Amino acid sequence: MSESRIEFECFGGCVEVRAGGGAGAPAALERARARLLDAHRRLSRFDPGSELSRLNRDQRCEVPASPLLRQLAVAIAEAGERSGGLVDGTLLREIERAGYADSLPQGRRPTPPPAVAPSGPAGPRDRADWAALRVDQRAGTVIRPPGVQIDGGGLAKGMLADLLGADLAGFGSFAVDCCGDLRLGGRAGAERRVMVDDPGGGPPVGELRLRAGGVATSGISRRSWRRAGGRPGHQIIDPRSGEPAFTGVLQATAVAPTALLAEVYAKAALLAGPEEAPAWLPFGGVLVLAGGTVETVPASTELPQPVPA
Amino acid sequence: MDDFERQERIRAANRRRVAQRNRAGRLRGRVIAASLICFALLWGVVFVQMATGNDPVLSEKPAAAGRRTKPGRAAARPAQGQAAEGEVEAEPESGLEIEPQAEVAPEPEPEFEPEPEPIPEAEAEAVPEPEAELEPLTTSQS
Repeated sequence: MSESRIEFECFGGCVEVRAGGGAGAPAALERARARLLDAHRRLSRFDPGSELSRLNRDQRCEVPASPLLRQLAVAIAEAGERSGGLVDGTLLREIERAGYADSLPQGRRPTPPPAVAPSGPAGPRDRADWAALRVDQRAGTVIRPPGVQIDGGGLAKGMLADLLGADLAGFGSFAVDCCGDLRLGGRAGAERRVMVDDPGGGPPVGELRLRAGGVATSGISRRSWRRAGGRPGHQIIDPRSGEPAFTGVLQATAVAPTALLAEVYAKAALLAGPEEAPAWLPFGGVLVLAGGTVETVPASTELPQPVPA
Repeated sequence: MDDFERQERIRAANRRRVAQRNRAGRLRGRVIAASLICFALLWGVVFVQMATGNDPVLSEKPAAAGRRTKPGRAAARPAQGQAAEGEVEAEPESGLEIEPQAEVAPEPEPEFEPEPEPIPEAEAEAVPEPEAELEPLTTSQS
């Protein structure tokens, strides 16, 4: 089956969108590109002029927001609720304090996994700011206590992969790759292989097969760095300690009905540690543990299959 | 008019009457003969048709079943192929005794099968084949 495809740089990485089995695929892909670039402009925390940055600076409790930003706020609240506070999209200060204040250069090679002794599973923060996040769809506003800052991160990528997937659902096959967060499907119901990247830059460590749904990977090696004093740092923050989490899971890949949910599961599995991680992968996934052990987690729940149109 | 002339007229009248009777008899005979021939031909046609397995009563059965089938039942037929077949076989409306299909008509069997579902066929034309290989993707740390 032939698919049209488009690749471009967005969200600090490479985005690829594919569609086939229907007329108008090239035009649909161009619309997808425009939508993603617009979303990037709105939701980038590295751009002081972005809508997200303006929201984070705003001292009002209730701030007018575009539908996309409101959708992100809803996604962050739902992620916190689904993960019991493990996946917390209001840890922007902690991320910046850990050293991730500026966009990392694109195209950098994966760094070796940080050699840090696991400090145990992560936990939720006592003061859950995500629980105070509200959206008034009628008024078109985001409501949160002043000073609470939100960060799209992987959640925004998963959410946008789902939005584009909905746009492309009429094609025989489609796939959206938002820097590693995948949403795929299509009316033909064709199976597609998904390779799981090696956190150390080697050959794939696993292979998944699915006809429709989302796949996301969360890890501590790709966006990692050395902090002051030589301590390793990365972007996955333990909400309880506010510090980069070293739980013994280097990378977690999750399958779910949507890319957003897959992102939540993957991050929760990584933060939960090796013992609890499989429980966060009900639709299956792949774990890479400290020391390089690869563990494939079988699905305990059947992934919903698309209904033929 | 004298006697001779009167006798002559009577004989002429008798001849005409006899001729008329003969003509009527010939016509009646021809009609009977034609009827017999037509009857025999018709029976011959029917006999040949039945003997060769082309019973017109059997050939009209599926059409009759199709007319009586409601749309909702037609949609449910693929799962009830046996029942639909039995339904058609149990319709001796013409009063004729229908011989078992296997002996009389070997080919009507496909006509009684459930109608092919049009929607999957349309889908198969509209979308790519599911068996086709899609190029793999790679998931990496986002």
